[in-house]
Amino acid sequence: MFKLLVPVAVLVAVLLAAVLIDRPLPRADFVYIERSEVTTLDLHKASWMHDLRMATNIYEGLVRYDNFTADYRKKPATAESWTVSEDGLRWTFTIRAGAKWSDGQAVKASDFVYSYRRGMLPDMAGDYISMFQLIRGGKAFYDWRAKAQSEFAAASKGRARPAEAEALWKQTLAKFDELVGLKATDDRTLVMELERPTPYLLEVLAYEVMGPVYPPLVDRFQSIDPVTGMVKYDSGWTKPGVLIGNGPFVLEDWRYKREMRLRKNEHYWDAKNIHFNTISMPSVPDGNAAVLAFQTGAADWLTDVNVAFRGDLVARREAYLKKHKDLVEKLKAQGLDRVEIDRRLPRDEALFLQPMDSFGTYFINFNCLARLPDGRVNPLSDARVRRALVMAMDRSNITKNVRRAGEEPASTLIPPRSIGGYESPKGLPCAPDPQAIAQARQLLVEAGFPQGQGLPTLVFLFNKEGGHDLIAQAIKQDWEQNLGVSVSLEQVEIKVFREKLKNGDYMISRGSWFGDYGDPLTFLDLNRTNDGNNDRKYSSPRFDALLDEANSKRDPNERMRILSEAERVLMEEDLPLAPVFHYKLLYLFDPWKVSGITPHPRQKQYPFQMNIMGDELGPDVPMRMRPALKTGAGGTP
Amino acid sequence: MTALIVRRLIQMPVILLVIYTLTLVLAWKIPGSPLDKGEGRRPPAEVQEAMLRQYNLESFWGFYWSYLDSATGVKYVRESLSGEAAAVEKAAIQAGRTAPVRRVFDLGPSLTDAAWRVDEILLGSLPVSMALGSASILIALAIGLTAGIIGAVKPNSAADFFTLLLSLVGISLPSFVIGTVLLMIFAVWLGIVPAGVYSPKTALLGAFTLSLPYAAYVARLTRLGMIEVLGADYIRTARAKGVSESRVILRHALKNAALPVVSYIGPATAMAMTGSFVIERVFNINGMGQHFVSGVINKDLFLIIGVVMVFSTMLITLNLIVDVLYRWIDPRIE
Repeated sequence: MFKLLVPVAVLVAVLLAAVLIDRPLPRADFVYIERSEVTTLDLHKASWMHDLRMATNIYEGLVRYDNFTADYRKKPATAESWTVSEDGLRWTFTIRAGAKWSDGQAVKASDFVYSYRRGMLPDMAGDYISMFQLIRGGKAFYDWRAKAQSEFAAASKGRARPAEAEALWKQTLAKFDELVGLKATDDRTLVMELERPTPYLLEVLAYEVMGPVYPPLVDRFQSIDPVTGMVKYDSGWTKPGVLIGNGPFVLEDWRYKREMRLRKNEHYWDAKNIHFNTISMPSVPDGNAAVLAFQTGAADWLTDVNVAFRGDLVARREAYLKKHKDLVEKLKAQGLDRVEIDRRLPRDEALFLQPMDSFGTYFINFNCLARLPDGRVNPLSDARVRRALVMAMDRSNITKNVRRAGEEPASTLIPPRSIGGYESPKGLPCAPDPQAIAQARQLLVEAGFPQGQGLPTLVFLFNKEGGHDLIAQAIKQDWEQNLGVSVSLEQVEIKVFREKLKNGDYMISRGSWFGDYGDPLTFLDLNRTNDGNNDRKYSSPRFDALLDEANSKRDPNERMRILSEAERVLMEEDLPLAPVFHYKLLYLFDPWKVSGITPHPRQKQYPFQMNIMGDELGPDVPMRMRPALKTGAGGTP
Repeated sequence: MTALIVRRLIQMPVILLVIYTLTLVLAWKIPGSPLDKGEGRRPPAEVQEAMLRQYNLESFWGFYWSYLDSATGVKYVRESLSGEAAAVEKAAIQAGRTAPVRRVFDLGPSLTDAAWRVDEILLGSLPVSMALGSASILIALAIGLTAGIIGAVKPNSAADFFTLLLSLVGISLPSFVIGTVLLMIFAVWLGIVPAGVYSPKTALLGAFTLSLPYAAYVARLTRLGMIEVLGADYIRTARAKGVSESRVILRHALKNAALPVVSYIGPATAMAMTGSFVIERVFNINGMGQHFVSGVINKDLFLIIGVVMVFSTMLITLNLIVDVLYRWIDPRIE
């Protein structure tokens, strides 16, 4: 009998050990749930919105978005002030006197030089390399390094050459100083020279990847591959207890796919305005579980309600607002922001659901190549065919009956009113009337496809999950009924989908884009000839010339006007893509309890500035949107 | 016994190499680029090429050998012996930097989650999977043995039919259905267990769900074994000698009736420890199974291979342990 008990005892021992090692922590002062796990805290490798949002807590760049201003201004952060030269090419930043790293050392101008140099390296293979290349010489430095490194690797022939690899790195550092217009003239002065005048520079500098990393720390984890000469960084520097940042919080704990936890950084220059001691971001991959976590009080803010019944939640909210219509109108007239209006209505759980404008658009890609990869002539290379298809699409039907998330149908690529000083073009109407359909048919006739005759079956490609199938079906129906064309739907795995788009191996596909910084270029650049994200393979000398012309303009208003014309060309004439709707993100939070979540149209949320009202750690007055200043366009303060 | 252990240990690397090769061939065939992020932006073409180079992903054989080289520790030993490591260290220190971190067994980074190395991910989640598996087998034993004994002592009674019904449910209902129903009851209606976020209570509920099919099987095995043994001569002798009924069942009968259960429990433990990804998903427990699924979806080559190799090693080792234990418990077996 004793022998039989041995296996049982072993199992019990394993169990006890695991339970003792793995103890849950108490609830943090503020808990928020993102759609997925943070993938990295290395600024130069980050790409996802939730990675970048987490990074805002840990790092602080030269400037931040003033996300409670109606004109989306920027405010000083690690830089306390800056000046611009007459020609707009030379920016001088003064680093804040009290700015410190979380180990108590002062933040120096040279730390930014180090960080931006790292961001420029081809070795880092960062997604946002183009932002660093706004700095004079950034592109030249990138090209030099990429060439030197691949020559080194070729010359090595698989042998290790540690001394030579170190020498190449030294040479790289010297080359940076020679080529790139970024200098720390003293501990607190950073001089940045630009390739061309960039009126939206502060927008870019406020972007999360433009924060600083701590040079002594990152250096410790750097190694140089003796065979390829490539610089590598061990991810160990981004771990709790090791990571040093200059933001309001420090990383206290991070367990893979379980939880990330932050603690207030006592060295942060503005620590007195931080209202939490701890912030936690548990990992809850399942949408229903996340909503449950919010409903049971385990989380304060859910950044993406991703459940099948989201349409019902939206409907419930809209019904409640309708019930209090008069009061809502009165509050609107006072110029209050959306969240503040809700806050002044009688408290109700229906308003915990908060649909927020976001800086993203759902659209349909048309392949614009003259020939399809299989050699057939591509009818969609004719702009008239594309325009006809767009005019025959009922986009308001999709937002109203398919998506049901309170979103606006889109007639432009850039969400209107999301960029200060930018006037969106009108675009084509979102719901076709009989006249529009007649026009669309006429366009097909002109293109040589009367009643859709002669037009091959249009294959509409989309990926599984995300509800794209429903949208594709609605569009297919519109096209078949209104134009008499035949459409077939093709559903593939996301990896296959991405590969096909990249290679132009499709006719029509779903697509989407979220902008990075508050300038039209963050959307328009997608359609430049040969841009890496130009899945449509659209190439228009006229459009490219308009972008170039805008880039050469010093006057921000003039520049915005030209960019608006460029978008008009896209959205009214050429239509390489058909916008369908502008995304809304559905948040869950209690507006009577949580303050600091802004209705900013680009979702610039800073968890570190949020506050639980009534928890004694911060004020009990909510943050409110402040009115716009009456100066200039382009988002410069 | 020693011969058995030695033979198995010699076989192990060969089996693992075959598994590695097969896994990599299949994973390599997954369409798309392992570096593509699914949604979102695509870096410039030259950056994408640099990324491929960085991870040796340019050719199948290049990746095959370089992974084998660094994961098995051959690279570490070679670099140490050839003096290359020392030269690199010297060059770094001369350049004013610290010597680079070196790992004996380098399983590579996760391509999806840049912050993590595969060994960190595995070390973090392996204990969770093992605990979940052990807990579920313990629960399965408790339920299964009890139900089996009841069924055997009073065959064809109401209690027997009841346990038969329960084990049918346990075997036939998929765990995501049972799991969701349990969450509904305990988290939503009763509010005893927190929903969404991880807690030991939810893990226990997960272990219970995972245990049901095993419990059902153990119950059937025990019942059959017990019915057979209870009719044996030595049991009649024990009863005739006046031994109490509970002692007859627990001491004399169970000892022999449980042998099939022991041989079943070994592979079952291995399966419970490695095959719990549905439970992990439903109860948000961060065990290893989910990494395999997400690895395949993202074509995260390093992660796929890491998880498969650890699972294979676990299965082989656990099977060996079971064989050894079995011989030890019942010396009649050769």
